[in-house]
Amino acid sequence: MEKRILHVEDNPDDVVLTAMAFRKAGVGAKLDVATDGDKAIAALSGFATNGPPACVLLDIKLPTLSGLEVLAWIRKQPNLKRLPVIMLTSSLIPSDINQAYDLGANSYLTKPPDLESLIGLVKTIDLYWLRTNTPAVLVA
Amino acid sequence: MESKNVLLDLAIRPAQPVAAPPNGAPRPIPDLKANILIVDDRSDKLLALQAVLASLDQNLVQARSGKEALRQLLKMDFAVILLDVSMPTMDGFETAGLIRQRPSSEHTPIIFITSIGNSENHIARGYSLGAVDYMLTPIVPDVLRAKVSVFVELHRQTELIKRQGEQLRRLEESRHQRELAEFADRLEIETRRNRFFTLALDMLGIADFNGCLLQVNPSWESVLGYSEAELKSVSGLDLVHPEDRPAMQQQMQALRNGGAAAELEGRYRHKDGSYRWLFWSAAPFPAENLIYIFARDITARKKAEAEVKLLNQELEQRLHALTAINSELEAFNYSIAHDLRTPLRSMSGFAKALLEDESANLSSLGLEYATRIARSANYMDNLLLDMLAYSRLTGAEMVPELFTLDEPVAELLGLVEKEIRDRRVTIQISSPLGGVFAHLPTFKQIMTNLISNSIKFVAPDRPPQIRIFTTSQADFIRLWVQDNGIGIPPEHHDKIFGLFQRLHDNQTYPGTGIGLALVRKGAERMGGKAGVESEVGQGSRFWVELPASPPSQNGKENSSRRG
Repeated sequence: MEKRILHVEDNPDDVVLTAMAFRKAGVGAKLDVATDGDKAIAALSGFATNGPPACVLLDIKLPTLSGLEVLAWIRKQPNLKRLPVIMLTSSLIPSDINQAYDLGANSYLTKPPDLESLIGLVKTIDLYWLRTNTPAVLVA
Repeated sequence: MESKNVLLDLAIRPAQPVAAPPNGAPRPIPDLKANILIVDDRSDKLLALQAVLASLDQNLVQARSGKEALRQLLKMDFAVILLDVSMPTMDGFETAGLIRQRPSSEHTPIIFITSIGNSENHIARGYSLGAVDYMLTPIVPDVLRAKVSVFVELHRQTELIKRQGEQLRRLEESRHQRELAEFADRLEIETRRNRFFTLALDMLGIADFNGCLLQVNPSWESVLGYSEAELKSVSGLDLVHPEDRPAMQQQMQALRNGGAAAELEGRYRHKDGSYRWLFWSAAPFPAENLIYIFARDITARKKAEAEVKLLNQELEQRLHALTAINSELEAFNYSIAHDLRTPLRSMSGFAKALLEDESANLSSLGLEYATRIARSANYMDNLLLDMLAYSRLTGAEMVPELFTLDEPVAELLGLVEKEIRDRRVTIQISSPLGGVFAHLPTFKQIMTNLISNSIKFVAPDRPPQIRIFTTSQADFIRLWVQDNGIGIPPEHHDKIFGLFQRLHDNQTYPGTGIGLALVRKGAERMGGKAGVESEVGQGSRFWVELPASPPSQNGKENSSRRG
């Protein structure tokens, strides 16, 4: 079955580049895109029909709700609190990094400066989070 | 003044020994034998009297005339005098008259001895001269002995009483002298204490349990301005600053309840209306209902403390402001990095996508343009990262630590392993390199730049050779990175450490012009220096000098050397 990933990203270039990197990396996962914090929460609330995504790629600087606020919300939802959340951001501000971990982020990745590195990063995400890692058991 | 004179007078006169009698008079014989004077011009009568009285076992003294009797009376006291009435030249009556005239023998009992024939006449005359008795001749020995015995006994009793009186008097005298000596001692101690009391720079005083001062030393006046009389007329509490009064009252209460010695600081009103800070300690003596007070003027210290406190507060505020500015700048830098790098990522990403995915649809010129876009985007990203690193170096707080250089150097060489392999670099490290007291992340940044420079600035056809070693410079360790590169003309040795200073075009030796600026700035921020020794074509020897130990230790060594 095709894995689904929720990509929360407001920069359309990054959305296209990330999708391109997934394609070039040969990762066969479907990317759902939310372009701000509210839309991310809406998408996650409506997972009842499709089931939750395999993981969330979450930017920090977002319109409406910030990525950290979205993360806090996720960790408060009984059926989402164990969902793998990977921060994918360009922020290296120490307070952003530590807050993300404090709020329960599973991983913190910074956006690579060039396409090759991004492809490499996508391959790593696929290998670790989609293939190697055993996700939490879902409770309805 | 008077008491002082008395004291001095007493002090210099040694106390009289108690045991010795005050006047050197010999005391009477211990067996208490009484002296009996027998006066007669006839030796047979003297002999007879002596024989009669011998059994009394007293001290019998004979005199053959009135004159001699008087001489004997000058020598000693007599219990009784037996006086013959009829004697030539000076008869008994005349002798008795003279005896009575002398105060010492005025009351000495006199027994006249006379013949019966003259008795009537003689008795009347004798009594008028103070005789106590009469003996008529011929003498009846028992009667004479009995009469004399009475006087001897009387004398003994009198002598005893006299002695006891003397003893009592001596006892009384010695007691009196002892008391005098004790009083002198006390006075001496008191006076010494008083001198301390008067001389003390601190305030000493005695107060009653109501806080009223009973005794103060001169320091009170010099500190608070009030005369002794003024101080004694007010309650000590009235002088306390209203804000300090509750604490003071509490202390007083504690002292009245027999609390231990207490210490307190508080403000007291000076006569001029200003307030003085006093540190005082007091101890209660409930038996006397007195409080002994010690106080010290600490106004100057308090003022200095307040000034230091104010200065510290100002410093703290400025530090706060600076810290705020600093963290604001840091946040600004980070957001520049974020916001400026985001479009760069797009530019380089899409340019590469063009080159990879759309190369079939692009002319060779189109491909070249896309390549230029990608290269420029990469360069700008490096530039941004270097600028960020440099600005972080200027602003951030660096906490130094002691570490040995060998491990981080090996770690950094490990990071450029691929490049070392590709360009066939030979590296020689003179280990151990030793230790420094520096900020490890900044040191790593410096070394990264020096190592990458030493690989980069070598003619393309030569395999780079790098030598890393250290030398010791007093309290500093100098780390050298030597290469076999193109070298640097001496006139540029200083310039290359400036920001954005480059000696080559970007094509031949690409770079941002920040690397060496970062090396020097980083070294300086860690209390060290950086420099280079080089000739064109002879390779370069870059060095970084860092403290070998924490600065406090350096300071100590310096000062001891100077001392």
